[in-house]
Amino acid sequence: MKRYLTGFIFMAALVINTLISTRIYAEDISADEIVEKANLMAFYQGADGKAKVNMIITDSLGRERKRTFIILRKDIKDGGEQKYYVFFKKPADVRNMVFMVWKHIDTDDDRWLYLPALDLVKRIASNDKRTSFAGSHFLYEDISGRGINEDTHELIKQTDKFYILKNVPKDPQSVEFDSYNVWIDKKTFMPLKSEYYQKDEKYRTIEALETKKIDGYLTVTKSKASDLRTGGFTVSEFEKVQYDINIDEKIFTERYLRQKPRKWLR
Amino acid sequence: MQNKTNPLVSFSVLRPKMIMWFMVAITLALGAFIPKVTVDTDPENMLSKIDSVRVFHDAMKKEFSLSDMIVLGIVNESDKQGVFNPRSLANIYALTQYAKTLRWKRKDAPDKFEGVIEVDILAPSTVDNIKQGGLGSVRFEWLMKTPPATREQALEIRKQAERIPFLNGTLLSEDGKALCLYLPLTSKDMSYKVYVALQKKIKELKGDDQYFITGLPVAEDTFGVEMFKQMAISAPLAMLIIFLLLWVFFKKLQLIISPMLVALCSVITTMGLLIGTGNTVHIMSSMIPIFIMPIAVLDSIHILSEFFELYQRYKDRKQTLLIVMKELFTPMLYTSLTSAAGFGSLALTPIPPVQVFGIFVAIGIMFAWFLTITVIPAYIMLMPQKSLDNFGVSSESKNKGKGGLAPILKKISVFTVYKAKPIILFMILAIVLAIYGISRIQINDNPIRWFKKTHSIRIADKVLNQHFGGTYMAYLLLQSSEEKQSVKTAAKSLLKSITDSLDNFKKDGYRVDRMRKEISKTIKIFSQQTDIPEKFISLFQKSIQTYSENAPDDELDVWDGVIYCIESFKQRAEVFKQPAVLSYIVQLQHALQETKVVGKSNSIADIVKTVHRELLLGKDKEFRIPDTKKAVAQCLLTFQNSHRPDDLWHLVTPDYIKTSIWVQLRSGDNKDMSKVVDFMDKYIKRYPPPVPLSYHWFGASYINIFWQNKMVKGMLSAFLGSFLVVFLMMSYLFRSVLWGFLCMIPLTVTIAFIYGTVGLIGKDYDMPIAVLSSLTLGLAVDFAIHFLVRARELFSKYKNWKLTVSYLFDEPALAIARNIIVIAVGFLPLIAAPLIPYKTVGVFLATILAVSGIATLFLLPALITFFQKILFGQIYSTKKIMCSCVSCIIMAVSFVILVLLNLKRFLPSGPLTWILIITGIIILAAGLCCLVKKRFSSCNK
Repeated sequence: MKRYLTGFIFMAALVINTLISTRIYAEDISADEIVEKANLMAFYQGADGKAKVNMIITDSLGRERKRTFIILRKDIKDGGEQKYYVFFKKPADVRNMVFMVWKHIDTDDDRWLYLPALDLVKRIASNDKRTSFAGSHFLYEDISGRGINEDTHELIKQTDKFYILKNVPKDPQSVEFDSYNVWIDKKTFMPLKSEYYQKDEKYRTIEALETKKIDGYLTVTKSKASDLRTGGFTVSEFEKVQYDINIDEKIFTERYLRQKPRKWLR
Repeated sequence: MQNKTNPLVSFSVLRPKMIMWFMVAITLALGAFIPKVTVDTDPENMLSKIDSVRVFHDAMKKEFSLSDMIVLGIVNESDKQGVFNPRSLANIYALTQYAKTLRWKRKDAPDKFEGVIEVDILAPSTVDNIKQGGLGSVRFEWLMKTPPATREQALEIRKQAERIPFLNGTLLSEDGKALCLYLPLTSKDMSYKVYVALQKKIKELKGDDQYFITGLPVAEDTFGVEMFKQMAISAPLAMLIIFLLLWVFFKKLQLIISPMLVALCSVITTMGLLIGTGNTVHIMSSMIPIFIMPIAVLDSIHILSEFFELYQRYKDRKQTLLIVMKELFTPMLYTSLTSAAGFGSLALTPIPPVQVFGIFVAIGIMFAWFLTITVIPAYIMLMPQKSLDNFGVSSESKNKGKGGLAPILKKISVFTVYKAKPIILFMILAIVLAIYGISRIQINDNPIRWFKKTHSIRIADKVLNQHFGGTYMAYLLLQSSEEKQSVKTAAKSLLKSITDSLDNFKKDGYRVDRMRKEISKTIKIFSQQTDIPEKFISLFQKSIQTYSENAPDDELDVWDGVIYCIESFKQRAEVFKQPAVLSYIVQLQHALQETKVVGKSNSIADIVKTVHRELLLGKDKEFRIPDTKKAVAQCLLTFQNSHRPDDLWHLVTPDYIKTSIWVQLRSGDNKDMSKVVDFMDKYIKRYPPPVPLSYHWFGASYINIFWQNKMVKGMLSAFLGSFLVVFLMMSYLFRSVLWGFLCMIPLTVTIAFIYGTVGLIGKDYDMPIAVLSSLTLGLAVDFAIHFLVRARELFSKYKNWKLTVSYLFDEPALAIARNIIVIAVGFLPLIAAPLIPYKTVGVFLATILAVSGIATLFLLPALITFFQKILFGQIYSTKKIMCSCVSCIIMAVSFVILVLLNLKRFLPSGPLTWILIITGIIILAAGLCCLVKKRFSSCNK
């Protein structure tokens, strides 16, 4: 009887403890902290990374366009500066085209474009990151990540699995949305869904369709961006994902736009 | 002719109350459908939904995601910077933001919106600008993200936009005075709602900007609204005037209510039936009341006129009625049948709204006839006896009672007999002049011209088309017509390109021989497995993919090269990335510009040229198509990094097999669009494209010229058909082909006159004008029938033409004259209408009546005087009409032509067919003739 009682007390304590800790845990973490963790999770896994991306753009009439590119990433500082190198493989006539980005936190990014057919390296000046990425429904900002200081974040709801945050831009003139909500996995802090609003109308979503653990890092391997107004959407699949492969930083320079770093592009 | 009283008439005379109740009941029953009316003002519906041109138009609109647009123009004439000043741009910005909100949840699908398609709005704040960003960089940004603060910034926006060919002349006017917002709509029927909302918003804006709203959808919707007003005003007004005139003639209020009743009930029942059977009210069918009313009143006036003349002689209404009805029954039946046939023939035109119009006017006419012969007698029977006491013309006051008309008619009767030859000569001259006029007829229509010059839509149209490239849209589709490769040829050329590539690798020191063997073997295997080239390529590519994944490191580059060859091969059909083809598009755009009608055209070539220029430091000399297909592709991918990548798909399909040139016309005249189409036909024939391309037009402006051509042809054959029907009916009625011919003369002269006038005064031959031919046929033949039937009756009685004429110009001519005046004057109020088609109908209706009346009253007696021996010789003959070989052949031929006209669309064309058909007619006619002669013994008397 005593043993049972001890067992019961033990169990009860455990349960209460869990309950309390969860409560404290939930109250403890602020919206900003969640966002910070999610940002690292989504954009800063490993010190560097590489993936082959197959993108299928489906328009409102169901017509498909395909793009394949290799994406190389190197973090200069976790949660801070990053460098991206996007190399187009398909379709054939844009093969060898390259987008290169030096992502900065408090200033505008540096962007380059290389057009092999015109043998032209071009800097792209833009303070606007909300333009289409290669004609897809993903925006340039969806690929490199939106600066976490650009919005105010508010935890509006929690479910068993998710923190749901509402994000409102500090400079509403700079973007086309009024707000967006993000669903962040409570366990992993991986953001799995975003919904964009203009006034009360949800007009755009981004969802993670598939996640996998690769080299110990949780990775979104399939994601989808949808334009709810036109009915068009883009699905990106990430293949051959690798982390911590020591990509040389010098690859992310103008020189390597013309002279492709073959080794890294297979 | 009619010896017995028609049972319907005697029933009406005996049971007048029942007839009245019946009329009320049927009018109420069918009239109940009228509130369910739906209006259709879409010119596209001139073509049937399954018409190939329309199906193609719809398919292309979908494929290129093109929508109907409202065009909102903002003009500033007072500021020296035009609209490019901070205040005007702030207004434009506010309007754009407002326009974005003009979307409403759909009732049937709450998750979908209807109204303005926000993502496709063209406005300074919604379009992208590509420009130099300093230090050799290129910049993509919104043209006007927020309204500028200074005048310099405002001017800068103009400078930027002017450099983008896509915007210059489309979004902003070349003089900088005006800007246009293009608001695409989910469906055309949203336009009025959006239009009204915009008008409201515009009122709130301050400043000296002027605002103009146009675009076909707005015009159509506004027209629909005006049409309702028109129907509510014009038709009742016409009725009122007819009523007043009747009162002047008959001076008996109680009595003249009856024709008004007949007209009203005919109109209500016909419209009720039209709406109740699920038809929409189109511009054509909205005119049904106006067409039915005069025809419905016509017969009543004949009865009343006759009754008026005879009542005092018999002093008994029943007896008078029966005599009147006996005399009038046949001509009334025939006049109604001929009118109905005239309109009914429109059912054979290939244009649905015209078909509906024709059928329902025909139904209305027959219903009006039915009501006339039943309700008018019943009504007269129900009137209190004493109210008739002082009615009509007593024999003593006969000449007094007829007012001013009788003496004039008397003079005419004398004139026609003594001056028969000059009258006929005059007629011949008039016809010659008319034929000249007809040869000058210009076929043209333009929905915007349906509005008066002072209407805000007309003004907006004028102003905006002065400033911009044009608000009328047509699209020239170019499509690759390269023949599909067979698997065998595909395999062969793919192998060749891979071999070439391997050779290059070999030169660079790679080992390729083993792979060469492997590849040619694989190609051979897969090319035998399928008949579909795409399938072959995908099978082959998969297998190569597997090879490359298992290949040793030193072979990787080569495998990569092979995959690249396959990928390139897959893109071989993408003709609209080829520089030569794009240059050809540029050439076509220049040609379009040469027509002077086209103010502006936009194509994929413009995008490529602009991106190319901005990539190469914005130098003007780089505003060109780059030299290679790859360079074109890379410029296009660069373009797609903008805010609006999907704009590209309005101009080319993602497979680059079809392209659409957006052509802006300054005029909505169909003749101008026809000019462009003809010009381009010649141009493309003379300068063929560098690769096999087919081309087709689509877009509202093209649809319009297509249905117009169809209408002209359709109307012509419908008219010919109904002319023959009426001719056959007349020949039967008079039992004589000659009299049949005679009866057709007034209407032939009238039609020649009407269309001759249209040609001479330079009025465009448009839809309302086209339909007038049927109306003429219906009305003009009516007078002739009445006139000739009476002429023959009177002649049998008096056996002397001169005497006959004097009686003929007594009561019968009076009835005709009254009819002419009542209807001609009754429809003059239409001239005050704000919508041009109604005006046209009003003017021409009056003219038709006047001319056909004059033709009947002058020409017929003159002709009869001239040909009296032959004409009246026939009356004495007791032979049947078919006994004369000539009559027989003429009738047979007319009949066969009539059948052919109707069957034409099912027959194959070509000279041989026609020779066969004509031979057939002759044999048939001759055979018929022989047969008849033998059969009827009466012929041989």
